[in-house]
Amino acid sequence: MDILELVQANILTPVVLFFIFGIITARIKSDLKIPEAISEFLPIYLLAAIGLHGGLEMRKTGFENMLIPLLVAIGLSILMTLYHYQILKRLGKFNIFDSYALASTYGAVGAVTFSVGLSFLKTQGISSEGYITAILATLEPVAFILAIFLTNMAISKQTQIKKQAFTKSKDNTDDLDTITVEQKTKLFQVLRESITGKAIVILLGSIVIGYAIDTNGFAPIKIVFEDLFVGAIVIFLIEMGIVAGHRLDDIKKGGVFLIGFALAIPTINGTIGVLIATYLGLSIGGAVMYGLLFASASFIAAPAVLRHAIPQAKPSLYITSALGITFPYIIMILLPVMLILSTTFHNMESMNLGSYFVEAWK
Amino acid sequence: MKLYNAKLLTITCEILAQKNIIDILHKHNISGYTFYEVGGSGAKGIRGQGFQNEKNIKIEVILQEEKLSGVLEEIARTLFSDYAIITYVSDVGVVRIEKFV
Repeated sequence: MDILELVQANILTPVVLFFIFGIITARIKSDLKIPEAISEFLPIYLLAAIGLHGGLEMRKTGFENMLIPLLVAIGLSILMTLYHYQILKRLGKFNIFDSYALASTYGAVGAVTFSVGLSFLKTQGISSEGYITAILATLEPVAFILAIFLTNMAISKQTQIKKQAFTKSKDNTDDLDTITVEQKTKLFQVLRESITGKAIVILLGSIVIGYAIDTNGFAPIKIVFEDLFVGAIVIFLIEMGIVAGHRLDDIKKGGVFLIGFALAIPTINGTIGVLIATYLGLSIGGAVMYGLLFASASFIAAPAVLRHAIPQAKPSLYITSALGITFPYIIMILLPVMLILSTTFHNMESMNLGSYFVEAWK
Repeated sequence: MKLYNAKLLTITCEILAQKNIIDILHKHNISGYTFYEVGGSGAKGIRGQGFQNEKNIKIEVILQEEKLSGVLEEIARTLFSDYAIITYVSDVGVVRIEKFV
């Protein structure tokens, strides 16, 4: 299928249409909103459904194949967070805190985006490797921990310089020591909080349960966790559309550079992800989901983690760009594009991937 | 009935600053406080809509005057620059002053 046709077909799916509908309701200042309890419940439900699905698939395919894609994903996530930071700091002229916060928002994975990706593949009738869900769970804290670690390094370097200036008057050094100790405990706290955070806990728990119950055990709950999945995403995306719609005015405040960043980075990272996944031997659908891990930005987990860890960064920047620009772009355009890319790469691979890579590197 | 003078410290802030404030209260050996979720509008626009993490919270603490300045100073120093936060102090009368040491 032609790219334009596929994009068009994708926009005319309920998931995307209800998202756009949510944005419109927010723009016309309608009082429509999804009850709070439901919009808090849905992410938990979606993560449980993804986790169960992943666990079941892992039982079928085994997870010995998972190790290399997992390690590559962690490496890529770290690398991407680092180059996001360089781009934002050097080209975007953002301050160090905003740069690290944005870098990790885009280095982290978006669980909601991931669910939409799964439902997109489901509508296309394409399956993907279940262990990518386990990679999602592992990858979640990586970018944050890196960004927070680097921010703390930068701050303690600054305090070190101040400390040297202070050494003549020795009274103040005690204060600065406590600051450094505080920074270290903060990093440990973030690590603990993000691992015990609800997203990872429910995801890992459902993967384990999905793996344990197998298809037979899944049969009685299939109606809730599989058949209702796309419908639940639709309801959740009305809410996402409303929240995104309220933030559209903030996009202008972020500036042209941030808009460009929020569109270009997912495209580049997604393409890299699809390419590497194809090279690692993932299926067509698997490569799309693997690419999506790197294309997506986190907008639910990120604020909770970053607001504590890097309070100096402006949350309006990273939430608005991730939810207001990147998320709509991914679910409307980038997903179908990545599917086409994945199909193309897989066709090339079946012909002769080796020579293609040699060509590409030249 | 005799009323004793105490201070009521009210803090309205984004929900993600709640933990920091409660830590500060504990540090100053204050264990009693009340909080509730609120919405409103201020320098950062309309707040209390959207994600759970973007809600606002109002924390009320009754304490005696000698602890007040220490608590206020620490809140101002550590939170004012980075968080959406408003604090104010009012005089209140309490019956059992021993509860607010």
